[in-house]
Amino acid sequence: MTAIEPTSVALHARDVQFDWSKTPVHWVPDEPELAHFYNVMHLLLPELELWFVQVFTDALPYITDAKVREDVLGFIGQENMHANAHQGALDLLAANGIDPEPYTSQVHHLLQGWIDRTRKMKPKRRKQSLLNQIAVIAAGEHFTAVLGDFALNSPAFDEVGTDPVMSDLLRWHGAEEVEHRSVAFDLFRHLDGRYPMQVVSMLAVIPALWMLWHRGARMLLEADPTLTPKQRKLTLRKFRRWHRRGLLPNAKIYLPQLTHYLKGDYHPSHYGSTTQAIAYLATSPAAKAGQQ
Amino acid sequence: MTETPPDLLTRTTAKLIETAERTLNFWSRFQPPPDTELRRNDHLQTLVVREVRAEAEDVVSLTLAAQNGAELPAWDPGCHLDVLLPSGLKRQYSLNGDPADRHSYRISVRRLPDGGGGSVQMHQLRTGHAVTVSHPRNAFPFIGRDRYLFLAGGIGITPILPMVRAAQRIGAGWQLIYTGRSRESMPFARELLELGGDRVFIRPDEEFGFPTGEELIGDTDPGTHIYLCGPPPMIDTVRRAAQGPLHYERFSPPPVVNGTPFEVELARTGVVVEVGAEESALTAILREVPTAGYSCRQGFCGACRIPVLGGTFERNDHAMSRDGADRSMTVCVSRAEGRVVLDI
Repeated sequence: MTAIEPTSVALHARDVQFDWSKTPVHWVPDEPELAHFYNVMHLLLPELELWFVQVFTDALPYITDAKVREDVLGFIGQENMHANAHQGALDLLAANGIDPEPYTSQVHHLLQGWIDRTRKMKPKRRKQSLLNQIAVIAAGEHFTAVLGDFALNSPAFDEVGTDPVMSDLLRWHGAEEVEHRSVAFDLFRHLDGRYPMQVVSMLAVIPALWMLWHRGARMLLEADPTLTPKQRKLTLRKFRRWHRRGLLPNAKIYLPQLTHYLKGDYHPSHYGSTTQAIAYLATSPAAKAGQQ
Repeated sequence: MTETPPDLLTRTTAKLIETAERTLNFWSRFQPPPDTELRRNDHLQTLVVREVRAEAEDVVSLTLAAQNGAELPAWDPGCHLDVLLPSGLKRQYSLNGDPADRHSYRISVRRLPDGGGGSVQMHQLRTGHAVTVSHPRNAFPFIGRDRYLFLAGGIGITPILPMVRAAQRIGAGWQLIYTGRSRESMPFARELLELGGDRVFIRPDEEFGFPTGEELIGDTDPGTHIYLCGPPPMIDTVRRAAQGPLHYERFSPPPVVNGTPFEVELARTGVVVEVGAEESALTAILREVPTAGYSCRQGFCGACRIPVLGGTFERNDHAMSRDGADRSMTVCVSRAEGRVVLDI
């Protein structure tokens, strides 16, 4: 491989089509608990993404840089498509007797409540509240890019025989996260860029995401009627096995990324590969089906 | 809004967010956010035509540089410039010079007498004329791979040319099939033959007929990355035939033709916007509300959806429906009859 890497990409949303008719709910063979740990995406991410879209759309009037603005518009379309695509997978869960509503309504309450409160504020406070949310989203997007990079570099999924449609969803989503990894941080730097905002928001994002994700996983394991009581428990031993098998990113991947984000000269473009993301997007079955 | 009362986890997370927010708000009193007016940048530059060269039948190449000879923003193969013509038209032209030359850009334009008028105006430019252009934008990113198949049709050679040079420079395996009406109408053919020798197949329709996707792809290894730029029928036929990774440039959405004019009432301000027969409701709304959200402009992403308060509209979008989608109008593609009232 060679040293050609596009320095910037004019972002655009891609239309995609996923055919869920043949995908089982337990789409990782012999690892139903792991499948559910990942299924949390379909519950949590659409809520987060639709919140991103609202915050970024509300931020448009403050943007004075044509390039930042163009990137944000491309980002909004991609995030909307991500939310739509996970919604399809969510319907798959519902068809298998798992009602995600108790969890999604909680997350919706939390995030929609935040942006709704902001919308009622007077201009000056409203701007500060939007900046707070943008800082939090920029910190969160750092992790989605890290996860996207993991999805693109996880041959273990193919080796264990993961459902190909679900692998494609993970990698298509991951590739677009890598492709647009700089947008939220660039918006943060354009409108704000104050270092303490960067630090405090990251420190809030880590426990919040961790709590929401684990809560989602526990809820799915409880709600799945086909699991045994032993399977319903998330034990440390299971996590160790998934890390060992290369099916779940471990702390060795997260922790260094955290310190990177807290460095003063951090920029998302230093991590992950646009080339790899674009190479995957040129082959993704869902992206190809969406072009027809 | 949900009816469900927040549970312990939601309350804890909300508390956490609230604490973070209070910290940030308090601290922002001492260090307010920067003034974004100081960061205003439209990313436009006014360049001067340094050279006009006849490249092939109806094709000219324009070399552009800064008035004072200053260094220009860098670009990668696949980049284009938005050229803002004095008439107000905006046209996109691929950069086809050498990315290592940091002091000039080269673009090439085929004159299309029946086009929208942009290419005719471009052909009127002479040495010394000023042109306003955007910074280089990349909607056709070229990535490092071991093997490429380049497919170019006519003036579609322009983004491919710097890619071919880059592939040659890094020692990748590559082939180029270059189609066009006739040899005389195909720019850069000689330059490409000198560069690539028998890797380059010049394939004029006059001699070989219009190509099919199967012919162009042939027995290419499925791992080869195909870079394609050409007229829409060529893109369609290759897209249907290609099994492996395929890259092609995404152009702006197709123009609206033969629509029926209608009116959009913006409920929050009471302003009524006229939507013309040849524009989308989004274009009309953006004139009044330049900060309205949108993205794909093709009716699938749903970013421009606005709740409808009254009136009838047709849904020509295929955006997947979520809550309330049926009462929202995807204004980039959907049209209405008479007047529609939107919650914006």
